[in-house]
Amino acid sequence: MIQEKIRQKAKELLENKTVDLIIGFGEGTLPLRATPLFIRNPEEVDRLIWNSFCENNLATYLHKFSQFKVGLVVKGCDARSIIALSLEKRFKPDQLFLIGVPCQRMVDRRRVKKAVKGEILRAREQGDQIIVEGEDFKTALKRDDYLYPSCQVCTHRTPIKANVVIGDPVEERSLIEAHPEIKEFEKKSPEERWKYFEKESSRCIRCYACREACPMCYCAECFVDSPNPKWIEKGLSPSDIEFYHIVRAYHQTGRCSGCGACERACPMEIRLTYLTQKLNLDVKELFDFETGIDADALPPLSTYETEDKQEFIK
Amino acid sequence: MKLKLDKKDFNPFLQSLMDEYDLFAPVQLAEGVSVYKKIDRPDEVDLSTSNPQKPAKEVFFPQSEIMFRYEKTGKQHQVTSTEGVERKRVILGARPCDIHAVSLIDHVFSGKEYTDVYYANKRNATTIIGIACDHPLSTCFCTSMNGGPFSREGSDLFLVDLGEAYLVELLTEKGMAFSQNKFLKKAESNDLNLGREIEEKASKKMDASVPVEGIEKRLDQMVESPFWEKVQEKCIGCRVCTYLCPTCHCFDIVDEALTNKGQRVRNWDSCLSSLYSLETSGHNPRSTNRERTRQRIMHKFNYFPKNFDRIACVGCGRCILYCPANFDIRQTIKEIQKGGDK
Amino acid sequence: MIGVGDGETATRITIMSHYHEFMLNMKNPYLPIPMVVKKAHVETADRMLRTLELGFLNEEDSKAFQFIPGQFCELSILGKGEAPFGIASSPTENGSLKFTINKAGTVTTALHHIEEGTEVGIRGPLGNGYPIDLFQGKNVLVIGGGFAFTTLRSLIAFFLHPENRNKVKDITVIYGARMPGLLLYKEELAEWEKRSDIKLVVTVDQGDKDWKGKVGLVPNVLEEVAPSSENTYAVICGPPIMIKFTFPKLMTLRFPNERIYTSLEKRMKCGIGKCGRCNIGHLYVCKDGPVFSYAQLEKLPKDY
Repeated sequence: MIQEKIRQKAKELLENKTVDLIIGFGEGTLPLRATPLFIRNPEEVDRLIWNSFCENNLATYLHKFSQFKVGLVVKGCDARSIIALSLEKRFKPDQLFLIGVPCQRMVDRRRVKKAVKGEILRAREQGDQIIVEGEDFKTALKRDDYLYPSCQVCTHRTPIKANVVIGDPVEERSLIEAHPEIKEFEKKSPEERWKYFEKESSRCIRCYACREACPMCYCAECFVDSPNPKWIEKGLSPSDIEFYHIVRAYHQTGRCSGCGACERACPMEIRLTYLTQKLNLDVKELFDFETGIDADALPPLSTYETEDKQEFIK
Repeated sequence: MKLKLDKKDFNPFLQSLMDEYDLFAPVQLAEGVSVYKKIDRPDEVDLSTSNPQKPAKEVFFPQSEIMFRYEKTGKQHQVTSTEGVERKRVILGARPCDIHAVSLIDHVFSGKEYTDVYYANKRNATTIIGIACDHPLSTCFCTSMNGGPFSREGSDLFLVDLGEAYLVELLTEKGMAFSQNKFLKKAESNDLNLGREIEEKASKKMDASVPVEGIEKRLDQMVESPFWEKVQEKCIGCRVCTYLCPTCHCFDIVDEALTNKGQRVRNWDSCLSSLYSLETSGHNPRSTNRERTRQRIMHKFNYFPKNFDRIACVGCGRCILYCPANFDIRQTIKEIQKGGDK
Repeated sequence: MIGVGDGETATRITIMSHYHEFMLNMKNPYLPIPMVVKKAHVETADRMLRTLELGFLNEEDSKAFQFIPGQFCELSILGKGEAPFGIASSPTENGSLKFTINKAGTVTTALHHIEEGTEVGIRGPLGNGYPIDLFQGKNVLVIGGGFAFTTLRSLIAFFLHPENRNKVKDITVIYGARMPGLLLYKEELAEWEKRSDIKLVVTVDQGDKDWKGKVGLVPNVLEEVAPSSENTYAVICGPPIMIKFTFPKLMTLRFPNERIYTSLEKRMKCGIGKCGRCNIGHLYVCKDGPVFSYAQLEKLPKDY
């Protein structure tokens, strides 16, 4: 079982002092939740778990623990973020030991909540089902009907360049065929697309949870906080909010692994990944590049090739 | 005085309020997402959620608020304050925890030395219609924080959902102003009994097991404890907890300027931001998440109590529900009470 | 509508909206008092410090403004923002207020560029000020470094005023800067040096060819001067490095923590204890400070 193997590996790494710290997942305090877990003692490894609620991108913690040797449990998307960060020289390869787990795709706890009437008090996985129980109900839901939008379109569930991969590799899809939502969206007129974006972003409360959850957002001073030049104000003006989301999405071009951490962190449930998914598709089409797949391929916006398309330069 | 409002009269009742007051109530922005907003039509009101994401304090302390506008004409500055309130207000459907939180931040804004007129004018102009929680969530711990699902503290009127009707209790002078509203009928004894039943059932559901007795003194001993380094490990500093917390009151003041005119605005801010205490010299007393997490928790459970004799937490559970990393304040409180050793 | 001010050059402040029974008619602590820059000059050779002398535009504001040394104001440049500055002038220097501005960010840079005759705003007086009541009948030792000397100027000028001089006994001042060109208030220092009712020692870390005064670091000069701690209150303001090395010397001289005061700085916004930003423990630097005794600071988290 994957969980057992993760624990074994973690124990081994800590006992041999290959790492100072293991970052993985532990039991959450709420149903349908796992929580990031930080352990330093081999005796604690039995707290590590693995299930369909291990949704966090743990790569985002590496910025905080950059002075340690860290053993990190990574899914496919998380490993891609790590490759992207290594290309940006955020850490040295020998600082990390990646325990890769081919991802079964993570369950969207918000949609599960909305599928039942009443508070979910207990939840567990059973085969391909999620059994949820409340005060006066018990329902079995088909796991694959309740996956996160980012997981539904995932094309790299097996971690790349992990030190060890626990479990068997899983079947993958190509990027282009995996994005039905975006393809539908592309058929809409610019006015329709803008209306959708305007509506989604209108809920934004400028908490920047999306930014903090994202492993690629690590700027000491984010553009929204820049006083000189001051790009946008700090209030709730719709144009400022729209500017923030558009620019943040663009700052992810060629860097975003599509993990969906931004969308999951958002308390107002804004569909953030449709923006980044579209950008990732465009990057594939324009530059034949996917973030974090090839550890030697430089990100397209940091390099120039003579074959790069130029027809948009008028 | 206890009255009753049939649900079929609910929308006309709201309309009768809107004729006299600006009505603020929970409005659904998307499935599962609601905030308090000034409503234009009765059918916008959504009381089905347990608690909107953004707390009721918004009605008195908006997330983004203009303080004054200015205009420069030659050497002359015209400054126009926007502290006025155009019309009296009603909040409808605030939960007891959110109302309790408002009375906590009253201490900050209506302090003895200075009065925050923006907050105070709105507060004074508002009648609060609270609504009881007949189905508290398992993440609610208001009873541990001096509150309760049926606590009437701070409400001018208090609603209890009886199924086909609401029980409407008029509790204060502001509440009594509604005694002549044509949609409010006299409550019968079986209505009152049903109300009591629902109240008892809800109270039994509450799990008052978050021990805060003596937490202030415990924290006094823990200022430099290694506990803070450990407890903040999973926190990514996303600030969601502070933006949704009903007792958080930190704000930033900025000028928004065009060439010759502009405005001074205040916006909610968060002590968990890395730039929050950054000084222009470059010195940052809270340069890591350890200091910032310590500040947040100490403020709620030690500093605020030192100033106002009350814990600045109402047990609404939003920080637990919405934290992306499942940081659970109930767990943290229990660890603190054990002296900070895991 | 309430209008404040008269004439064409006055800043007019109005309160918008109709009054209803529920409006509280209270003074809005966030509205700036209109002031005009009467004089401005650069204090230091590196041009980073500029002193502004501000005059009140409205007579009533001037009369209502009562402050003690150690208090501060939030200076407003509409469109740029606000920043807190200690009041450098003494309450005994009637009419105008002096502030010395260190050019560091958006607001301070704007304050460096404004010309005489420009209007600015102030909010204040804010903060607790120095405990001048406690100093009555005692000796006062003032130690200042660099441009932290602003409110110390207010304190010294206050006690040197004939009405106040006999409220305290000996006044000893040790003031140091890195170089002679970086000393503030050179005119006042020259005047004070001539007086017999104050012992003033001005020192620099590094002299220049024209400097005829003392050369030495503030902590060492303090050791040399060795004022008695008996019945003496010490007030120390300076950069962290100076405080770090001077404080132990005060301990050696047997100054107890209850009789050592300092003025703290922290990032501030509202200045009135509401926005939450400047807290140290349960105290707010803007409202319960900025002046604290070391005895108080010992009990607070090292959050500064």
